[in-house]
Amino acid sequence: MNSIVTAFAKGIEKSGVKPSMICVPSDIPFEPEVVDFLGVDFFHTTRGRAIPFGTGLKLGNPALKVVPFIGDMMTLGGNHFVHGSRRNMELLVICINNFVYKKIGGQSVPKTAPAFSPYSTFDEPFNIPHLGNSCGALYTARWTALHIDELANSIAEALNKRGMSMIEILAPGPNYYTDIKHIESNVLNFYYENSVIKNNEDPRNVEITPEKKIVVGKFTDKERPTFLETYNTQLSSVLGDKFIPYGCVPPQNKSGGRNGGD
Amino acid sequence: MKTDPKGVLTGLHRLNGNHACAEGALAAGCRFLGGYPIVPALEIYERFLERAKQVGATFIQMEDEISALAAVLGASWTGKKTMTVTSGPGMSLMMEHLGLGVMLETPCVIVNIQRAGPSIGIPNRPSQGDMMQVRWGSHGDYEIIALCPSSPQEMFDCTIKAFNLSERYRIPVSVISDEYVAHLKEDVVIPPAEEIVVEPRRYYTGSKDNYLPFKRDKDFVPRMVNIGDGYRFHVTGLTHDDRGYPVMNEECQEYNVHPLVSKIRNYADEIIEIQEAEIDDAEIIIISYGATSRAALKAMEQARRSGIKVGSLKLVTVWPFPEKRVGELAKKVNAFVVPEMNFGQVVLEVERCSYGNTNVIFVPHGDKGVENTDDLLSAIKHATQEKSVRDGLIEYKQARE
Repeated sequence: MNSIVTAFAKGIEKSGVKPSMICVPSDIPFEPEVVDFLGVDFFHTTRGRAIPFGTGLKLGNPALKVVPFIGDMMTLGGNHFVHGSRRNMELLVICINNFVYKKIGGQSVPKTAPAFSPYSTFDEPFNIPHLGNSCGALYTARWTALHIDELANSIAEALNKRGMSMIEILAPGPNYYTDIKHIESNVLNFYYENSVIKNNEDPRNVEITPEKKIVVGKFTDKERPTFLETYNTQLSSVLGDKFIPYGCVPPQNKSGGRNGGD
Repeated sequence: MKTDPKGVLTGLHRLNGNHACAEGALAAGCRFLGGYPIVPALEIYERFLERAKQVGATFIQMEDEISALAAVLGASWTGKKTMTVTSGPGMSLMMEHLGLGVMLETPCVIVNIQRAGPSIGIPNRPSQGDMMQVRWGSHGDYEIIALCPSSPQEMFDCTIKAFNLSERYRIPVSVISDEYVAHLKEDVVIPPAEEIVVEPRRYYTGSKDNYLPFKRDKDFVPRMVNIGDGYRFHVTGLTHDDRGYPVMNEECQEYNVHPLVSKIRNYADEIIEIQEAEIDDAEIIIISYGATSRAALKAMEQARRSGIKVGSLKLVTVWPFPEKRVGELAKKVNAFVVPEMNFGQVVLEVERCSYGNTNVIFVPHGDKGVENTDDLLSAIKHATQEKSVRDGLIEYKQARE
C-alpha cells in the first residue's frame, strides 16, 4: 500500500492537477494521515460502492477529479463498475487486487486464480481490464505495486483523461497470519519478477493464470464523449434555449468556496 | 434564508401528490436527484427530470437503489441539496446507505411512496407497511426523522420541511407517503419564493488547518464543508473521532454514536409536528397519519354527530414519535383508536406510550380502501362499550358479511 500511495502522490504531481480538487471515495480504509499528506479529500464508504458515491461527487461538482480506490470491485462493486464504464463517468477507478480477502483471512474472491487457494477455486477469475474495456472504459492499465514509476505515469495520464479510466494494481495486503516483512520481501517481488510489460496488448489476452507470466502495461487508451457531455449535447438539441447546460462552467468559489446559489 | 426563485412555480395548481413532492423539492432548492424508477413513485421522478432541465438541476438514473442513494450522499457533500425517490422494494436496498448517511451525517431526503408488500407485493396499491422499516431498517443504533403527508398540499410542505430538517440536523430525512396520497389530485398552493423559508447548510467558518469534520456544536451537530474547497478532510463509516479518523474502541463507539441519537432525541420537541382536532373534550382519540388521517377526520365528524365525543391526533412527524403528548393524552381519554394500512406498526408505539392508562384499539384499515369509515365508526362504538382498561392491544375484528 505504501508504494501505491507513493505512486499516487507522484502521479498527482506529474498530472498538474491541484490536490485539493481530487477526492477519493474508497471502500478500503487508508491510514488517515496519508490523506493529510496527499492533500486530498477522502471518503471511506460502504464495501464496493465507491463508484456510485464518486458518481454523485462528480455530478455534484463537475470540476472535481474523483479517484475511487476499490478493493471489493468485482463482487459488491461489479455492477457499479460495469455501469460506470458504460456511462463513461469521469472517474479514475483504482482497483487494488490482492487476489483474496486479505484482511479477514484470505477467502477467495472473483479475482482468485485457481492456484492461489489451497483447495483451488471452482470458478474462473475476472479479467478486469478486458471487462472494463468491453463495457466502455476509455483507459485500462495494470501494474504491480513495485512498478512505481510506470504506475505514477499511468495515474498522471488517467487523471487528465476525460472519461472512465481503470488501473488494476496487483498488491499484497497484510494478512493476519503472516508478518508484513515476509510479504514485502516475497510476494511483492514474486509479482514483480513474474510480470512482463506489454503495452498496448489486447485486453483479451491479459488474464492472470498460474501458467503464464502476469501481463502488465497500459492496454487501451481511446476517446468517447463523457456522460455529462452527452447529457448536455442531447438535451440542448432537444430543448434548445429552454435547457440550462449543467457542469460546463466549474462552480464559482464564493465566500469560502461554497457553490453559490445552490 | 430565502430560496432560489428559479425552482418555485408560484400559483394555484391542481397536482397529484407525486408532482407536488417534486415541486416541493425544487422549491426547497434541491438540485440533484439520483434515482431508480419504481411504481408508484414514478411521477416524482418524471416531474423532477422535466423541470430540472430548466432550473439548472441535474439527475441521474443509477443502476439500482443502492447506488442511487450512494450518489445522493456523494452529491450532498459537494454542497447541493439532494434527494432520491423510491418505494418499498427500493427502500429495502437503500438501507445500507441510510446507515452510511447517518454515520457520515450527510443531509439528504429520501421519499418513500409506500406500496403493498412484503417483497414485490402490489405495485399500485397503497400501504403503510414501511413505517417500522424506515425507523429500524439499517443496522446499529440511530435515530431518524420521518414525515407523513396526507394530501398533495402537505406533500409539498413536508418535502420542504424535510430538506430543512435534514440541513438542520445533518441526517437523511424520509418523507414517507403512500400510493393513495401520491396519486390523489388536489389543489396545491405554491407560495411566492420569498415566502418559502429554507434552512441554510451550517458551514464551518474557521481556518482550513483546524477543521475537524465531526467536531460537534453544543447541539451535537457538526459543521460541514464542501468537498474541493481544500480542507483535506477524512470521513469514514467506521466508528470515528472528531477528526474523522477511525478509532476501534468502546469509548469512541460511545463518543461517536451517542450524539447521533442525542441530536434527535434532545430536540424532539422542535422536530415533532402534530395536528390536533377536537381534543379538549374528547373521550376517544383517533391517532392516525398519512392517508388514513383523512378517513379519521371523517369518522370523527360522523361520530360527533351521533353524540360520541371523539378527537383526532394526526401525526405529521411519525419519527421521532410524540411520546410525551401521547402519554399525556392517555391519562385523559378512555381509548385510542389507531387505524393503519398495515397489520400493526405505529400502534405498537401508541400502546407503549400510553403506559397502560387507556385502551388502545387497532383498526387494520387496508381491506376496504382508505375512504371507508365504517370500520372506524364501529371501532369507536366498540371503544365506548369498554368500561375498564384491558391488558394489551385490542385488535378490532372487522365484521365480514
